[in-house]
Amino acid sequence: MSAEEDRRQEIPGRRRGLFSSRRLILGIVVAVVVYAFAWQITEIDLKKLVTGAPDMVHIVKQLLQPDLLTRDKEYQRAYADFQVPCGTASPQQPAASESEPYLVLSYLCGEPGQPLGVEGFNFRPDTKGILRWIPPVGTRRSLKRIDADSEGHFAVGIAIPDVPASEELQEIEVELKWDVGLPYPSDTTKIVLSKMVQTIMLAMMATTVGVFLAVPLSFLAARNLMSKYRSTMIVYFLIRGVFNIVRSIEPYIWAIIFAVWVGIGPFAGVLALGMHSIAALGKLYSEQVESIDPGPIEAIQATGANALQTIVYAVVPQIVPPYIAFTIYRWDINVRMSTVIGFVGGGGIGFILIQWVNLLQYKKAGVAVWAIVIVVWTMDVVSSWVREKVV
Amino acid sequence: MLEIQNLTKIYDGGTVALRNVSMKVKDGEFLVIIGLSGSGKSTLLRCINRLIEPTEGRIIWDGVDVTQLSGEELRKTRRHIGMIFQQFNLVRRSSVLTNVLSGRLGYVSPWRSAVGRFPKKDVEKAMGALRQVGILDQAYKRADELSGGQQQRVGIARALMQDPTLILADEPVASLDPATSHSILRYLEELNREKGVTVLCSLHFLSLARAYATRILALKDGEVVFEGSPAEIDDARFKEIYGEDAIQVEIR
Repeated sequence: MSAEEDRRQEIPGRRRGLFSSRRLILGIVVAVVVYAFAWQITEIDLKKLVTGAPDMVHIVKQLLQPDLLTRDKEYQRAYADFQVPCGTASPQQPAASESEPYLVLSYLCGEPGQPLGVEGFNFRPDTKGILRWIPPVGTRRSLKRIDADSEGHFAVGIAIPDVPASEELQEIEVELKWDVGLPYPSDTTKIVLSKMVQTIMLAMMATTVGVFLAVPLSFLAARNLMSKYRSTMIVYFLIRGVFNIVRSIEPYIWAIIFAVWVGIGPFAGVLALGMHSIAALGKLYSEQVESIDPGPIEAIQATGANALQTIVYAVVPQIVPPYIAFTIYRWDINVRMSTVIGFVGGGGIGFILIQWVNLLQYKKAGVAVWAIVIVVWTMDVVSSWVREKVV
Repeated sequence: MLEIQNLTKIYDGGTVALRNVSMKVKDGEFLVIIGLSGSGKSTLLRCINRLIEPTEGRIIWDGVDVTQLSGEELRKTRRHIGMIFQQFNLVRRSSVLTNVLSGRLGYVSPWRSAVGRFPKKDVEKAMGALRQVGILDQAYKRADELSGGQQQRVGIARALMQDPTLILADEPVASLDPATSHSILRYLEELNREKGVTVLCSLHFLSLARAYATRILALKDGEVVFEGSPAEIDDARFKEIYGEDAIQVEIR
C-alpha cells in the first residue's frame, strides 16, 4: 500500500465505489418495487392512449370548428302518412305536384322493422336535410340523412321504427335546410363575449380586493419594520402565518367554500381569487418592504427633508414600481384563474364552459376555449410589457 | 467653525463606536479622517448631522449646539450640510435629475415637492450642478444606469443643491477605481478652495489623504490617535494608526 493510499484510508467518512455498494443495489430494488406499485395504483394503461384516440380526435375536431358565426336558415318540408300496423285508417299517398315538394312511399302501412322506401320530388336541388318519424304519441326520431340531387330528387330506404301500435296515423317528415344571407356572430359568441367581460371584471375586482388589503398588511408583515418590539413581532408572525395558510389553500378550494357561503356565481369567484390574492400579494409586497435600501432614506434625511418628503422621495420610489409590477402580475394570474374558477361554481366563462362540455356541445365549448386562449395570451403579453416598463 | 466636545456613541448592542472625541474644524479646512474599518469614522460623520444620535457630548456648529436641535430647527441646519456616501445612496429607480433635485428638499414647500413639483429656478440650478460635475447629458437617465463614478457625481450634485457650507463625505471613493477616485476628490477640492466649503472626508488610503487633506485626523477604536498635518504622518505614526502589520498601499 502506498503512502498516499494509506493517508486516504485514514480520512473518516470516505466512500467506496458507487456500484460496488450493497446499499445502492438495495436502493435500486426498493425503487423498482415502489415504481411498480405506483404504476399499478395510478392505473397507467398506455394502450388507452391509442384506443381512446378516435374520441379525442372527434372532440378536437369539434373544438377546432367553434360555433363562432351563424347564418340565417331557410327550410323546406314535406309530409307523408303511414300506419303501424295496417288497420282501418287507410292513409293516402301524398298528392303529386308540379312545383311543391312531395313524398312517395313504397307502401302505406306495415309492422316495425320492415324496410320502407321513401322517394322525394321537387325539393331544392343539391340540398341536405333529414328524415324524421313522428308517431302520434311520444317523441319524434331522426331516421336518415337526406341529400337531394341536382334535380331535387332523392330516394332512401328506412326501417319502420319500433313504435307502439296505433290506430292513429304516423307521420314521416322530410326537412331540407340551407343557409341564406351573410354570416353574423352566433348566440354562443354573444354569450361567450358577455361571460368573458364578466371574467375579466371578476379578475379585476379580485385583484383590487387583494391590493387594498395587501398593501396595509404588507407593512405589518415586514420584518424590518416590525422587529423593534415584542408586541409588533407577534403581529408580524400572526400575519405571516395567516398569509402562508391562506396561500397554501388553492383558489379552487376557496371558490367551493365561497360558493356555499354566498351562492354559485361570479361573487364567489371574486371572493375566492381575492382571498388568495391578499395572501400572495401581501407576501410579495412585504418582501419588497424588507428589501428596501436604507441608504437613500439616510441621504434624503441628510438634505433636511421632512418625514413626508423622505417617504415620497426615498421610500415610495423603491416600493411602488415593484408593487405595480406584482399587481399586474397578479391580475394576469387572476384572469387565468378566473377562466376556470367557474368549474367549481365561481362564475365567469368557466361556468358555461363546463356546462357545454358536460352536454357534449364541443363546438360551443370551442368558442369559449378560443376566447380563453386569446384573453390569457393577450393578458400575458400586456402584463410582461407593462412590467418591463415599470420596473 | 465646527467644534466637537467629548463626543461618545454607544450603540444598542453595547458597541462603543466613539470614545470621548473632541476636535475643532476651522471654516475652509479639508479635514481627512483616516482609520481602519470600524474605527468610528462613519459614526463621527453621521453624528454631526444627527443621522446617528450621539450618546454624550456636544457638537457646536456656527455657534449652535446641533445635539440640542429637533424637528424644524434640525432640518434647517441639515440643509446646509451636504453629505456624500460610499454607496452613493441614490434612489436607483428615479431619474438623475430627480435625485439631484432632492438635494433641494430642505428649501422647497413640502406639499409641492410631495407631488414632484420644484420651482423652475431649482430645476435650472440642478442642471447647472450637473453641468458642473460633467454629466448634464445623463440628466434624464435612471440613476442606476450610470457607472459608479457618474453616480458619485450625482451624489455631489445633490449635495451642491443644498448650497452647503459644510460637506460630510463618508468614504466617497471606496467603491471607485483609482482614476475615478481622483476625479471625485478633485471636485471636493475645487469646492473647498473656490467656494470655501469646509470638507470632512473619511478615506481609506493614506496616499489619497496626503494628496488632498489640509489636515488629517486619525481614529482608532473610537478614539483620536493623531491630529495634524499630512506631512507629520511618518512610518511610526502610520503603524500606530493602522497596527504593526500594516503596509502602506499607494494610490497615485
